[in-house]
Amino acid sequence: MTTATLSRWNRFRESFLWYSFRRDKVAIVSFLVLILMVLAAVFAPLFAPTDPYDLAQIDIMNSELPPVGMQGADSAFPLGTDAQGRDMLSTILYGTRVSLLIGFGAVVLQAALGILFGLLAGYLGGRVDSILMRIADVQLSFSTLMVAIIVGAVFKASFGNLMFGEIAIYMLIFIIGIAEWPQIARTVRASVLAEKKKEYVDAAKVMGFRTNRIMFRHILPNTLSPIFVIATVQIANAIISEAALSFLGLGMPETQPSLGSLIKSGFDYIQSGSWWITLIPGLVLVVLVLVINLLGDWLRDVMNPRLYKG
Amino acid sequence: MKSNTPLLEVKDLDVRFAVRGGDLTALRGISFSLDKGERLGLVGESGAGKSVAAFSILNLIARPGYIAGGQILFDGRDLAAMSERELRKIRGNRIAMIFQDPMMTLNPVLSIGTQMVEAIKAHRRISTKAAREIALSKLRKVQIPSPEKRLDQYPHELSGGMRQRVIIAIALLLDPEIIVADEPTTALDVTIQAEIMALLLDLCEQENVALMLITHDLGVVSQVTQRMLVMYSGRIIEQGPTREVINDAQHPYTQGLINALPQMGEPGARLFQIPGSMPSLKNVPSGCPFHPRCSFATDQCRQTMPEYVRSGNVDVACYEVSNLIEQEKNMQEAGS
Repeated sequence: MTTATLSRWNRFRESFLWYSFRRDKVAIVSFLVLILMVLAAVFAPLFAPTDPYDLAQIDIMNSELPPVGMQGADSAFPLGTDAQGRDMLSTILYGTRVSLLIGFGAVVLQAALGILFGLLAGYLGGRVDSILMRIADVQLSFSTLMVAIIVGAVFKASFGNLMFGEIAIYMLIFIIGIAEWPQIARTVRASVLAEKKKEYVDAAKVMGFRTNRIMFRHILPNTLSPIFVIATVQIANAIISEAALSFLGLGMPETQPSLGSLIKSGFDYIQSGSWWITLIPGLVLVVLVLVINLLGDWLRDVMNPRLYKG
Repeated sequence: MKSNTPLLEVKDLDVRFAVRGGDLTALRGISFSLDKGERLGLVGESGAGKSVAAFSILNLIARPGYIAGGQILFDGRDLAAMSERELRKIRGNRIAMIFQDPMMTLNPVLSIGTQMVEAIKAHRRISTKAAREIALSKLRKVQIPSPEKRLDQYPHELSGGMRQRVIIAIALLLDPEIIVADEPTTALDVTIQAEIMALLLDLCEQENVALMLITHDLGVVSQVTQRMLVMYSGRIIEQGPTREVINDAQHPYTQGLINALPQMGEPGARLFQIPGSMPSLKNVPSGCPFHPRCSFATDQCRQTMPEYVRSGNVDVACYEVSNLIEQEKNMQEAGS
């Protein structure tokens, strides 16, 4: 480890962020659960007993086996199997991976657009501000799901089911990212407006810096903490949006299930007694979203008590 | 260059703010000059337009303000008519500025070294390493303790006095010809004020940098500057060599400012105040803007703004003063 990173580590250990984290049990537990889920999802191929994408490993004779501890359970499938005979544990691990990927991807896209437009609107002001913020208003007046359903339906119709399966992940990232950027743009704009009035910005102008440099190098780092908070909450929102879309049949196809499409595929069998196909992924989804939101709440309290509640 | 062309010459500068219901005039007919290595003081109460004058020199008046007329000649070129691109080459490079509050002028999330290196790199094409060397040498110049350590520190880790030293070092980074200092010591406590002022004065003398010092502290002005301007309600009402202005103030406003200084040695004496307060830009009085607060005001003062008259080496805009000069002249003629 170089001295620079070492001193950065020391700085972090002395920081208020670390101090308040150590003191907050909810934050610690949420963080541990989240890390566990993320690791399990990222390294799913190592942990999962079977590969749900590999058709050769699936036997239809194993379909709808209950989880271990119930009558008729098979110890090879600890959480039971779904209607196609896929191992639920493996499918959930892979599904969490898909859900997280979409959540993170969508937020990265949102943040990129939101930061860019928010900075431009806030710093340049005037006409640029009016145009960008009116676009944001119009965008926000449509519900995310409605936009996503329309775009998703168009995609599905124009690419066909097979092709759609391949691009579904990117499409979902795109739809959710595009639909939610105004949230971040508004927050960034608001904090840029506050930062812009501070003297260090005047000082930067006096030093002869270019506008781009002042925006990205001097103002942006000062607006990062609210962006951080919002982005965390937005990951949870994006995962929920994806689950909702998948549940409606416009998200991930069943061959590459996300948590949402798992819930949906199990929903058809819930009346016939196979509750675990829906319930277990549902629980995983709830826990995942809950811990992210709890972490977001904690971050908001630490970084800026005046921020909006997501 | 001939020694009699000033480095900076402001001619008839008008600055206005476009607001709902018409323009407000913040600066009216400001003219002054600054020679190479000269130190000029700019004094006046809050709201007199001192800071606007400082910002307009760098053509940095923020909307809705704008330069409505006049010229700002720097090295023979008009800054008021320059493109943003050309202005950027001058700002920070040839004309540097120091602000009032050292807590606010440094970017809180960037280390001192980063901020200094960036400032150099904005104007010169040199390696980061070379830029760091320059930064270090300037930090040594402002006599900061253990300068190597400061480069990697963040603004919140430094005290107010140290931060102002860093800011002065940043102003000196590119060896500017003019430093505009907008109340550089008001936010500091008294002992540190004196230290910082002495440092600034030293550095300006050493490097032959012209200093434009904006302040409401007449004591500092009298110690540091060679010439001074007194501003009131967006106009210069008196300008001349500092010693003459301080010792023999002509304009009733300047006299008031000097009398308002607390004097040592008279315990319990009431402080003098100029009655009333600076008019807001929205309703500047007709004629001489100072007339409602002036004990010498006549009808003439209420109607028209006086022209500048010369008394000794001082230019004053006041009817009272010009009448006195007139009388003196008449008496001399009568006597001869």
